[in-house]
Amino acid sequence: MRQPVFRVRGLTKIYGAGAAEVRALSGVDLDLYASELVVLLGPSGSGKTTLLNNLGGLDVPTAGELQYRGQDLTAIDEKALTRYRRDTVGFVFQFYNLIPSLTARENVGLITEIARDPMSAETALEMVNLGGRLDHFPAQLSGGEQQRVAIARAIAKRPEVLLCDEPTGALDVRTGIVVLEAIQRANRELGTLTVIITHNAIMADMADRVIHLSDGHVHHLRANEHPVPASSLNW
Amino acid sequence: MISHLDRKLWRDLRRMKGQAFAVAMVMGCGLAMMVMARSLVFSLESTRREYYEANRFAEVFAMMKRAPNSLAARIQKIPGVGTVQPGISVQVTIDLPELDEPASGMVRSMPDYSPPELNRLFLRRGRWLIPGAHGEVLAGEAFANANNLQPGDSIAMLLHGRRQTFRIAGIVLSPEFIFESRPGAALPDARTYGTFWMPYRELSTAFQLYGAFNYLSLTLEPGASERTVIVELDRLLMPYGGRGAFGRADHPSHIRVSDEIRVQTMMSMGFPIVFLSVAAFMINAVLARLLNLQREQIAIMKAFGFTNWQIAVHYLKFAFVIVAVGTALGGCGGILLGHRLVLLYHKFFRFPDLAFHADRTAFPLALLLCSTAAVVGVFGAVRRAARIPPAEAMRPEPPANYRPSFVERTGVAHLLSHTFRIAVRNLERRPMQAIFTIAGLALATGILIVPNAFRDSVALVLETQWDSIQRSDLSIGLAEPNDTRVRHLLRHLPGVITIEPARGVAARIGFGHQCRQLGIQGIPADGLHSRVIDDDNHLIPLRPDTIVVSFKLAELLGAKVGDDLRVETLEGKRPTRNVRLVGLAGDFTGMSAYMDLPSLNRLMGEGDIISSANFRVDGAHRAEFLRALKGIPSVAWVAIKESLRENFRSSTALSIGIIQKIYLVFAIVVAFGVVYNNARISLAERARELATLRVIGFSRREVGAVLVTELVVLALIAVPLGLLLGSAFATVIVQAVNTETIRLPLVLTASNYAFAVSVVAIASSLSALLVLRMLNHLDLVSALKAPE
Repeated sequence: MRQPVFRVRGLTKIYGAGAAEVRALSGVDLDLYASELVVLLGPSGSGKTTLLNNLGGLDVPTAGELQYRGQDLTAIDEKALTRYRRDTVGFVFQFYNLIPSLTARENVGLITEIARDPMSAETALEMVNLGGRLDHFPAQLSGGEQQRVAIARAIAKRPEVLLCDEPTGALDVRTGIVVLEAIQRANRELGTLTVIITHNAIMADMADRVIHLSDGHVHHLRANEHPVPASSLNW
Repeated sequence: MISHLDRKLWRDLRRMKGQAFAVAMVMGCGLAMMVMARSLVFSLESTRREYYEANRFAEVFAMMKRAPNSLAARIQKIPGVGTVQPGISVQVTIDLPELDEPASGMVRSMPDYSPPELNRLFLRRGRWLIPGAHGEVLAGEAFANANNLQPGDSIAMLLHGRRQTFRIAGIVLSPEFIFESRPGAALPDARTYGTFWMPYRELSTAFQLYGAFNYLSLTLEPGASERTVIVELDRLLMPYGGRGAFGRADHPSHIRVSDEIRVQTMMSMGFPIVFLSVAAFMINAVLARLLNLQREQIAIMKAFGFTNWQIAVHYLKFAFVIVAVGTALGGCGGILLGHRLVLLYHKFFRFPDLAFHADRTAFPLALLLCSTAAVVGVFGAVRRAARIPPAEAMRPEPPANYRPSFVERTGVAHLLSHTFRIAVRNLERRPMQAIFTIAGLALATGILIVPNAFRDSVALVLETQWDSIQRSDLSIGLAEPNDTRVRHLLRHLPGVITIEPARGVAARIGFGHQCRQLGIQGIPADGLHSRVIDDDNHLIPLRPDTIVVSFKLAELLGAKVGDDLRVETLEGKRPTRNVRLVGLAGDFTGMSAYMDLPSLNRLMGEGDIISSANFRVDGAHRAEFLRALKGIPSVAWVAIKESLRENFRSSTALSIGIIQKIYLVFAIVVAFGVVYNNARISLAERARELATLRVIGFSRREVGAVLVTELVVLALIAVPLGLLLGSAFATVIVQAVNTETIRLPLVLTASNYAFAVSVVAIASSLSALLVLRMLNHLDLVSALKAPE
């Protein structure tokens, strides 16, 4: 039987207390496997981002079980979480979050300096088709290009897990597709477990599995027999 | 009902309380100093003016050997003269049983049956002299307090060689002795020198001066020329051994108070301007950067229909809260410190009532300066924010434009870490911001130099004065210039190792149109006890029939080495001669002139005369030596180096120490405030970037390194600049403080620099640590969301 990368049971996250209590997650059960591309769908406030942040070690759950390859992520300290993020997880955010004072190559190089077994910054940028814009600063790049630098930065460390929070949220359709292509390519070529959060149901077509969240728990889960290439999507 | 905008203001302030407080503190320091110094000036000036007026302090003074009382009427007729008051002023030796050494003093006469017209006394304790009574004196407060004398106590004095005991009727103050020290002594020693007042008849009889006077003071009629009156007065007094009349500007006590006022005036301008400028910089920077952080909020307010003006007013309120807190802190601090320092002045200056009067004009001035800075900061930033269309401003700020930094363009790029690149490019992209921070840090470093430069300068003066110039153990002065038979007597006192005679002659030294009145010191050319040294600490040989004057005097006269100075003596037969100037002494006490003793005596046309002597005494026989001195009637005063030094340590040094510490604390506050503020703002501006680094796997230390690198680069540029700036401040302030009576050298030591550097380094490290601790609370999740 295949061992899951993440084993999630009864995962609960509560913000605030008393009258101000907000249940962002209430008992999520989920297994995520290596190499699969998962799309997380759900309306605003359904708990998508909270789940992603917990998976990425940015936040700790209030209750429940969260295991990464048998290691209990809820029990490790801040230092170990930093280690976990550094070695295992690649993040892609809606607003790119590049360091404005570093060029594309340097933004990626930042990671290759600290990662265990990175690819070169040039290779990573090549993978997202930005080999020609290595020495451009973020301000000199379009939104789509900036997001692809962010993807290159995320994959340069050859992460086991790639977490993308609304990666196309700030982009137009054409640029969005180029970005999704880059993510899909990384997933296929590096065998990275990839989780993409989106509002956009069309993106479900490129996923191996689609998870619908609502009100803080998994509403339903569906496997996609024939995922399509990102280039064929349109919305 | 507080408006919602005000509520936002309040919460913003609470969130930024650390920074707001840092700015308020720096401003408070500047203001406190200004209030303190200006108020001290105001207090001293107004108290002195009132004291002079109420007690009718004279305007022209003259000493002479002996003039008949009838001359007073002729003096009265000089055009421009108001009231004339003749009297007697004599030096006496005092015998205090508790003191090993003889104490000395000055006794002034009081009219027998009426209060004095001029220089009226103020009765502190006890009672006035009873008209016609004998054996009573009034004692000056400084001496009485130092020796714990009360009304009713007895005191023994040698009057013209006769020992007499007097009862102290009252303890008094005189406008002539606000600052009380032995004539010619640079430092006061209230324990061994005092002033007394006695009825004219009794004093004049004891000194065989009945029907005559040897001291005169007078007032001028409004509009009268002091110069003209003095010339005429000198002409009248010449036959009676006049020693040259002088105005208030040359009155020893008046000069010392004026000097203090001058120093404080300087301090009340120089320091606070520097501090308030730093505060202005900081307010400006904080606001400009706060507004930058609130760019989206401003856009939303504009989208809702707020005008630019309303928005500007909102942020101005923010600035004014800080300014108001700073003003309150500074005002209270300044008044508190002023009160403390006024108490300190009571040690040096004797006023009937020296109270602290806060100078209210200091407040609006400081407020104006800081408010202007705030207004400029707010309007600049609001204008920038308002230029962007609201829709655009509400979107996250596009990445700022960067380029490889200058350092990298020189071809060393491959050597630099990413952290270093981020830091350097950030600095280069916002040069103005970097310049402001560097300016703030440099100012903070600079102001640390000044107080210690003062301390070192005073220490050097004392060291030079006591270890290089005045190397004897003690000095004595004779009541009257005497021939060398006294020397023989002195040489055989118990315990004397060496003795060197000296003579002081009052003279007017002139060159061209300039002239100054002072005492020429005649000392042995090959003397070891008192030496004349130049600025480089080299001995200046005293050649026969030549003169050496201090740099200050030469400068005032406009004379240089090789010129012939006109020496007009004011004693004896009052000969006037031209004497060749052969050297410039590096004296710190302002004006002085030296001649070889035999040459001075030759110039006077007198024999082998001395008026004082310097001794080295065997420590084992010291007490014996002092007791023997007490028995020699012609000894008028004794100055013991050790007790002067000790007295200085416990008074002047103490006060300089306190003032120096106040300024030092202020400087440290500024250094800390500037660094802390800068680090906080950097943290706020770059929370997103730093959180991203944390999210993608950087440890706290690695992220902290980005912030710290920037701070270190700024500090490395700022500190050397600050040392230069501080040296310049010290130079300007020392020069401004220097007067005719004191010439402080500029002393800048390596340890002073090292201290300034370490304070800034420690302040920077502490601020950096504080900010790094805040990194721990950086909200990783929210920092990644779109800016709200």
